[in-house]
Amino acid sequence: MKRFSIFLTRLLAQPRSWWRAVRRRDRLEAEMEAELAGHLENLTTDLVRAGFSPAEARRRARIALGSTVVHKDEMRASLGLRIVDEFAADLRYAYRRLLRSRGFTVVAALSLALAIGANTTIFSLAKQLLYERLAVPNAANLRLLAWTGTKAHVAVHHIWGDYEMLPAGRVTSSSFSYPVYQQLRTQNHDMEDLFAFKETGMNATIAGNAQQAQIEMVSGNYYSALDVQPALGRRITESDDAAAGQGVVAVISYGLWAREFGKSPSVLGQLIKVNEVPLTIVGVNPQSFTGAKSTMQSPEIFFPMSMQPVIAPHGDSGSLLTDTKEWWVNVMGRTKPGVSDAAAQAALDGQLGAVVRATMPVRPNDDLPRMDLRDGSRGLFTQQRTFAKPMEVLLVMVGFVLLLACANIANLMLARGTQRQREMSIRMALGAGRVRIARQMLVESLLLAALGGAGGLVFGYFGSSLIPKLTENAWERSEFHIHFDWMVFGFTAAVTILTGVLFGLVPAIAASRAKVSHGLKETSQSVTRRRKGWGGRSLVAFQVALATLLVIGAGLFLRTLASLNAVDVGFRTDHLLLAEISAPQKQYPAGKDIALHTQLVQAIGATPGVEAVSPSWMAYIAEDMSRTDFISEGVAFDKTADYGEDYNVVGNSFFSMMQIPILAGRPFGPQDTVTSGKVGIINATLAKERFPNQNPIGRRFTNGGGDSDGHGLKSTKEWITIVGVCGDTRYSNLRDEPPPQFFLPFAQQTEVGGSLNYLIRTRMSPEAIVPQLRKVVQRQDADLPLINVRTQQQQIDAETQQERIFVAMTSSFGMLALALASVGIYGVMAYSVANRTNEIGIRLALGAQPRQVLTMILREATWISLAGIAAGLTAALFLAQLVKSMLYGLQPADPVSLISGALLLIAVGLAASWIPARRAASVQPVEALRHE
Amino acid sequence: MDKQLDLLQGTLDLLILKAVSLGPLHGYGVLLRIQQISGQALVIQQGSLYPALYRLEHQGAIASDWGESENNRKAKFYRLTAAGRMRLDEETEKWNRMAGIMGTILLAVPERA
Repeated sequence: MKRFSIFLTRLLAQPRSWWRAVRRRDRLEAEMEAELAGHLENLTTDLVRAGFSPAEARRRARIALGSTVVHKDEMRASLGLRIVDEFAADLRYAYRRLLRSRGFTVVAALSLALAIGANTTIFSLAKQLLYERLAVPNAANLRLLAWTGTKAHVAVHHIWGDYEMLPAGRVTSSSFSYPVYQQLRTQNHDMEDLFAFKETGMNATIAGNAQQAQIEMVSGNYYSALDVQPALGRRITESDDAAAGQGVVAVISYGLWAREFGKSPSVLGQLIKVNEVPLTIVGVNPQSFTGAKSTMQSPEIFFPMSMQPVIAPHGDSGSLLTDTKEWWVNVMGRTKPGVSDAAAQAALDGQLGAVVRATMPVRPNDDLPRMDLRDGSRGLFTQQRTFAKPMEVLLVMVGFVLLLACANIANLMLARGTQRQREMSIRMALGAGRVRIARQMLVESLLLAALGGAGGLVFGYFGSSLIPKLTENAWERSEFHIHFDWMVFGFTAAVTILTGVLFGLVPAIAASRAKVSHGLKETSQSVTRRRKGWGGRSLVAFQVALATLLVIGAGLFLRTLASLNAVDVGFRTDHLLLAEISAPQKQYPAGKDIALHTQLVQAIGATPGVEAVSPSWMAYIAEDMSRTDFISEGVAFDKTADYGEDYNVVGNSFFSMMQIPILAGRPFGPQDTVTSGKVGIINATLAKERFPNQNPIGRRFTNGGGDSDGHGLKSTKEWITIVGVCGDTRYSNLRDEPPPQFFLPFAQQTEVGGSLNYLIRTRMSPEAIVPQLRKVVQRQDADLPLINVRTQQQQIDAETQQERIFVAMTSSFGMLALALASVGIYGVMAYSVANRTNEIGIRLALGAQPRQVLTMILREATWISLAGIAAGLTAALFLAQLVKSMLYGLQPADPVSLISGALLLIAVGLAASWIPARRAASVQPVEALRHE
Repeated sequence: MDKQLDLLQGTLDLLILKAVSLGPLHGYGVLLRIQQISGQALVIQQGSLYPALYRLEHQGAIASDWGESENNRKAKFYRLTAAGRMRLDEETEKWNRMAGIMGTILLAVPERA
């Protein structure tokens, strides 16, 4: 006990004493000086008293005390100051060395800064996309409710929301029906209170300006369960969500508040219209809050779930709150202390089964959805599917760039280290320890790394503010931005230290291994130094290998983008404008919406500058999809079979304006009306699939498919006659081959049931015609915005956006890699030539031609490059398999990318060694030998 | 000063603690007191005294204040801290035990057969 308390005092006293000494260094030095002087004086006085003469006394006193310099050094050591002093000296020395070789310092620091900056940028992006949690207190204990089931038999048939395939024929979704949510919430005892939300796009009129807005419908306990405090006003509460249609309030996002209301506190009490329903703004969310669905961007308007039947009526009854068939709402809850996830999932699973049986018809063949409790700390985390793989690839590539930069600097330092062998030998001869010398070298590396890290932080800052600009598209507002926070800073600092150690370690060990006698005896007069260059050369070969890998990677993605750009979509894409109009169902129920759009089509068609216009259920190459059953007449109905095909509903002018050829039969025309016989057109692929070797014209099919539960053919089936066969087009994206597709005429539809796309062919620029079009629409209904206005080309470009960002990034990595590798090759060859001046002089004196010397040096460089390229190609062949899913139009072992990458590296290797080779060839034998 | 003993390794700290335990002293005073108590029998390397003082202060066993010396000069006076007192007790006990054991061993005589 006693010993422990002594130990404890010491433990506490030492850092305090150390810190005091470091902080008040001047005072400490003065005190030591004064103390020793006082001692000397006391001793002298005593000696004088003992009878010595003052001069003799002083002399004796000084001898007795000994060297004050040594004593002071030991006193400093007692306080633990030696390490600090030595480190400071190392730092000063390293600073002077770096300052002296400015060229090296600038090249090394700049290449490091670029590499670290690239890493910082990619890391901050990856962190933002994949690691950021919802900005609510204790996000870690949020759980998202989801379910899994078999694709063929799960009892859930109508989903509005996410739906994903799992292996082994299973599917998963995080959408629930509202009655299921309500009953789960009542029965739940194993988690904290469950809350519900649904994010979607709607029309909003804000300050008299009709626009599209992202909205989130939230349950009454949403805010209290998430524990979010408003920046202004109040939150949505249980009483707002109590009765359908009664909670006419909204909370808006901080972004909307800043954009539309200039952060004015008078926003409270103002009215905004959502789908033409006025709501009173009662609160503003905090700036960091992005809703429960996503961490990326906040919905702009939050209103109570109770308003759904009024604002966004859905289906037959209008209210989703009582609809047991439609599964659409997302449910979350927090874990309860002491209840494991597995226990909560098991309990909820039992409840879900019972609730599903109680709320909807379950047939004997159906299986019940099984509860799947997921991590909810990042919301629905849909971006994971899109970005996880690309981010991995980018992180690996950017890591290679950093490794390359490290190898480069290690190489340069190693070359300098050999030059400094003499210095090291002298220092060792004077008594420096090996550890001390290695530490000195390491401090030098770390100082260099710190320079690079500081530069990298600056590059990274600009890089990560640049990236959101790359991810924007032309027609949608994006508030996605990357936080440059302490975590990014910590990452950069860690990377910096790691690189410093990585590239500093080899030279440090090499320096500490120097033999005292070696460097002093040897005066670089040896004839050849082949063996010594080995470490440097393998480093260069390693650099070439990494550069090959990065260049080939960039090549693969570049060729993918080129293949995507060369895709023939099957219709004319130029001078084509896309726009969307979403008529709220409350004002425009079935029938009325058809009338509205028919009028709008006519009005837009009559606008000056518009050559042709067609309504369209979906926009092409927009990840959009309409799919329904296509059951040919005379085929026995099998309810387990999938009859689904992609389709579209279009106007009469569609085929002519899109220049999609009619291969047989006729296009839609004025003869196809509501009262005439139902007609359809199929594309060539569908004709081949369903009517092989037959003439499909005149054949009939139905799209009325199964009944609402999908268990039998609808009794009121209506046969549709095929009147034409058209050419194939790409459908939802550029990558997939044209799928089977069929078309129905807009004129024969009875309802739109949501938003409708407009395809507008015009020779005018979008800027010139869009204001006209907006006016045309507003004349029909002032609260009806024209949304998602973009050209077809912009839409296609947006589809290849990810590829373009990828190509931009990987190409710049490839370029950086080439530059670094050429510096490496140049460095090692120049060094080799400088060391072999004697040998070359002798060769030339003995009759070698300059040309032979030139070839000799180039050959040596080429061998190094070839070794690196071979290693790089092997790695590339292996790694390319891992990105197979990201490529289009080429195999991972794409010969064009591989060969051009290899050739490029050979060319760069030759170019980089050209100057040293020329220098070697122009050596004057006399001078070289005199040099000795 | 007929017979002087060189200091045993590691005993300087103990001597300093003991000297300072009798009252605050400056560095030269510590030296004098040790020599005085030992009857001039111990020689202390004057230079090694200060690193030892600094080490003990660094470890929190002694503390120092600047004050006036007997000849009206500014001097740094060292005094024992509570932790130092504990350490002195402990080391004294350890020393005594060691001395006892050594004494016993050295007194041993060959056993008669």
